[in-house]
Amino acid sequence: MSLNAFWDFLVLGVVLGCLYAVIAIGYTLVYGVLQLLNFAHSEVFMFGGFGGLMALTVWAPAPDPSGAQSVLYVVVGMLAGAAFGGVVAYGLEKVAYRPLRRHKAPRLVFLITAIGASFFLYNLAGKLFGRNSLSMPDMYENKRVFSFFGAELSVTMILIVVSAVGMMIGLDYVVNRTKLGSSIRAVAQDPEVASLMGVNIDKVVSRTFVIGGLLGGAAGFLFGVNNKVVYTMGFLPGITAFAAAVLGGIGNVRGAMLGGMLLGIVETLTVYFWGEEWRYVAGFAVLVVVLMFRPTGLLGERLGRTA
Amino acid sequence: MSAEALVRGRAAERLRTVRWYQRPRWKRLGAMIALAVLAVMVTGVQGTQRDLFYALEENLTSPLLLVWLALTVGVWAVREFLSPQVKAVSDGYRSVVEEPRGKLRRAWREEKWLRWGALGALVAAAVFLPSGLERYWQTVLVDQIAIYVLVAIGLNVVIGWAGMLDLGFIAFFAIGAYSAAYWTGALPVQPPMELNNFAVIPVAIVTCLLAGVLLGAPTLRLRGDYLAIVTLGFHEIVYLTAKNLDDVTGGTGGVKVERFSLDLGFWSYEWGVIDPMPYYYLLLVFIAVVVFFFWRLEHSKVGRAWTAIREDEVAAASTGVNTVRFKLMAFAIGASTSGVAGVAYASKVGYINSENFVILLSVLVLAYVIFGGMGSIAGVLFGAAFLVWLPEALRDFVDPKDRYMYLGVLLVIMMIYRPQGVIPSRRRARELKLSESGESDADAMTEPAGGRLS
Amino acid sequence: MLNKTFVKLAAPLAISALALTGCGSDSGGGGDTIKIAFQGPLSGDNVQLGTNMENGIKLAIDQANASGDYDFEIEYFPTDDQGQPDKATAAAQKAIDEGVIAVIGPAFSGPADTAAEVYAEAGIPAVSSSATRPDLTTKGYESFLRAVPNDSAQGAGMAKYFDQATDAEKVVVVDDKTDYGVGLADVAEKELTAAGIEVVRQSVPQKTPDYSAAARSVVGQKADGLIYAGYYEDAGPFATKLAEAGFEGTTMSGDGTNDMGFVKLAGDAANGWKLTCPCTDPTQEDATKAFADDYQAEFNQAPGTYSAESYDVAQMIIAQIAETGGAESDSEKLLESLRGVEYKGLTKTFSFDDKGEFKNQTIYMYEVQDEKIGYVGNIDELAAE
Repeated sequence: MSLNAFWDFLVLGVVLGCLYAVIAIGYTLVYGVLQLLNFAHSEVFMFGGFGGLMALTVWAPAPDPSGAQSVLYVVVGMLAGAAFGGVVAYGLEKVAYRPLRRHKAPRLVFLITAIGASFFLYNLAGKLFGRNSLSMPDMYENKRVFSFFGAELSVTMILIVVSAVGMMIGLDYVVNRTKLGSSIRAVAQDPEVASLMGVNIDKVVSRTFVIGGLLGGAAGFLFGVNNKVVYTMGFLPGITAFAAAVLGGIGNVRGAMLGGMLLGIVETLTVYFWGEEWRYVAGFAVLVVVLMFRPTGLLGERLGRTA
Repeated sequence: MSAEALVRGRAAERLRTVRWYQRPRWKRLGAMIALAVLAVMVTGVQGTQRDLFYALEENLTSPLLLVWLALTVGVWAVREFLSPQVKAVSDGYRSVVEEPRGKLRRAWREEKWLRWGALGALVAAAVFLPSGLERYWQTVLVDQIAIYVLVAIGLNVVIGWAGMLDLGFIAFFAIGAYSAAYWTGALPVQPPMELNNFAVIPVAIVTCLLAGVLLGAPTLRLRGDYLAIVTLGFHEIVYLTAKNLDDVTGGTGGVKVERFSLDLGFWSYEWGVIDPMPYYYLLLVFIAVVVFFFWRLEHSKVGRAWTAIREDEVAAASTGVNTVRFKLMAFAIGASTSGVAGVAYASKVGYINSENFVILLSVLVLAYVIFGGMGSIAGVLFGAAFLVWLPEALRDFVDPKDRYMYLGVLLVIMMIYRPQGVIPSRRRARELKLSESGESDADAMTEPAGGRLS
Repeated sequence: MLNKTFVKLAAPLAISALALTGCGSDSGGGGDTIKIAFQGPLSGDNVQLGTNMENGIKLAIDQANASGDYDFEIEYFPTDDQGQPDKATAAAQKAIDEGVIAVIGPAFSGPADTAAEVYAEAGIPAVSSSATRPDLTTKGYESFLRAVPNDSAQGAGMAKYFDQATDAEKVVVVDDKTDYGVGLADVAEKELTAAGIEVVRQSVPQKTPDYSAAARSVVGQKADGLIYAGYYEDAGPFATKLAEAGFEGTTMSGDGTNDMGFVKLAGDAANGWKLTCPCTDPTQEDATKAFADDYQAEFNQAPGTYSAESYDVAQMIIAQIAETGGAESDSEKLLESLRGVEYKGLTKTFSFDDKGEFKNQTIYMYEVQDEKIGYVGNIDELAAE
């Protein structure tokens, strides 16, 4: 295929990468403060998809929405998704992780708890919402396409990129500029000193989960718009985003963004060159190779130091 | 008092006041009500595709909710208002039980014959009991329990003894199974010579050893979580290769594999299709051999080297332990055990396709090991057997679709109450305790999450 | 304060919950009850297809029991194989231990391959209404009957349609990397090539996170047609992305996609998709319409893929039980009778050849119009026009 097609795929890769990046942030934030692989984050993401869908089922979009209406629907869906994700992440931290943290359980125990919670959550979603795939209602006319230096852009793609970039900028601001952000960084750097300085660690951990959940939930909504909503939808994007977080240097917010973007592009270009079935092979191969040369990821670890 | 100080004083007061709903007692009540709502969702009706809210509405209006509320609020009330009485009862109970329990425990620790007797009884039960089971349970016992027990024992070497987190262990299981298929001539590509299933076992061991070293060598300098994701990636690559190279592996369509058979010239035997018991005895022999071998290994020089690496890699290296060699060895030994399980699996089920080796299984096997008690052979045996059995047993009690939901709940509760596993290894339990009290770091995995979080 | 105490209190509650839900599932046996099993994915990833079939079977059994036509009671016994071959032997064994007279299923081809052997050994007829991999009937599983045309028939039908009813010169064949999809796509590819049409084969595995790249690469082939061999859960978003990428050729898929779920998922993008199926539409004729209404009333949803077929197979088995002596019947007699059956069901007429293969290999064509799946006709007739 031509150079034009290559460019086309590259743009698609960036769109997918944006989604991965937003999910990966959830993994990396939690890792930053707790050094914990939050396996259940993929279910937070999935619940976000259902949250958006539920909001848009209650308040069903009109058949031919005007531009302003479309924006409103999208905003409502995304907020509902984010809210759902945030609530699930909050509950997860409170019920499953906090008791473990209380008696300083080892990381492996957290990991197994996370796996158990993940099993529970996705099966619960399957039970409550039915087990077949659902699609988001049409919120806008998606046929209209823009041309971006030759690459065709649909409304959905623009929606994903704009909201993902918005969320990432917002998060970067929160982590680097606000009081909450500095307490998150403080806990990540040295929890003991942070608590001596009057940082309420429980609160910070809880809020970190919620922030990750909000982003993951919103990403779940966007994923649902781009693809579909189903109770098993969290697993594969979750693992990929997790890999993205590791690739960028887990615990490092900008690393997660970079890693997500990179994996999205690598995967999509793999589809271009070798076909869809090799997507994940290439993604993980890149991860393995990068880790062999840079054992702590592209940008290195530590939320506190680099972000 | 200046205005500013007044404002500050009020703010401080506001911080100090605890509203009624912030008091622990009422917070606990709220938690119990939330629990009742969650429980009714868990035990309530199945949702439908028609109506997203069907299950929610149905559950929140069903009498089941009241039952749950009564239960949870009842428990709360007992705990809040009758706790002295409850404590008295439980103390009374404890004082009755305490003495014989202590005696039993001491006897267990001191009397050798008791332990040997228990072991003998267990072995006898393992040999004789299953033949009385329903055939369904025999099939489960062989196809799933025995096979995963073998895999879990292998993983225990990597994670329980050498302290490396492996999230892609089923990859080796797949390699073993595909070796069996290849060397018995079942795959679309033909081997140079066809082997008997038993003869494949050493071949599969070697193949998995090599695969283990191949994966281990470049990744050994990664620690903990990085190793986990790389092994996960390794699994995904193996799985997708098996899935996508249809012409070599049969892909999702799968291939039929011959079953075990033995022909010694003067005596021959074929393991049939229907009766699982011959396979059971065969697998029992495999498991016994592996367990014996590992039991010796644990207390050998190698086992001690692993313990040293796990507890403090730097110290181990500086006292002359060749850490790279021993870590590779753990990887390879674990992998080859899993490979044997793979051969046995392919030769029992008689059919394999790539979907038998999905990533979820790797995660589950890890859960088996931790649940049982990593580092302890008895624990791992129990953990794998119990957690494989549970979903099958739950079939009869709950909607089969919900079985893994209950498994998830069990894992979470278990980790909160007994993080060291059901039957922990004594050494691991001690390491856990030390790291909990902050006296030692232990390895990457027993190190508390949140590192130095107080 | 959701701390340790909270969970401490929760644990006994969870256990009592298990006990509570357990009470309901006890079922009284004995008397003149005959058990019919269904083996299929009742948990795991493909549970929706399993539920479709299960509901169809349950409906058939309930109606038979309520009708009063039979002097025996039918009891339904589900056995879950999660759609996985390695779980299938145990699932089959469970049904055999339960003493069922016949099994509907295994639903998927992989599980059928392992379980049919077990059923054959036990002499229990296993009638699958959905395992379509061609080679299943060539392996000598004596009690296995396939009550559905296999993939060869459907793939050939697709190729025939492209060859004779359109002037397509290049067709992209996409499989979903499942047992079903690859099998169907292989046949379609072979037949298309035999008909002199250029074929590009691609794979888009199930649960792909983003179908836009796959859709772009289909569009990039500049082909006149597309065959998607896979299930509707993935065909839905794929169709959406194909429309977005501007694919203009003829789009076609098989029975796995012939489900209203596809239309719901894809919305406008589903319009124009041609769907082949070895089944007739349950909402098409009067008799089948009654089925669809009953189903809707019973389960609060429309019948899905293979619901009607499973209903038919269940009814056929019940009728044959009655014919071979009702409560006196056994698996052996039933199998004998099923082999020679000529049963007219809602969806088609059932009869089997000596290998247990379905005799009637007619494939029908449907087309999505205005967000409805409309019946077009018999493929042989359409191609001949």
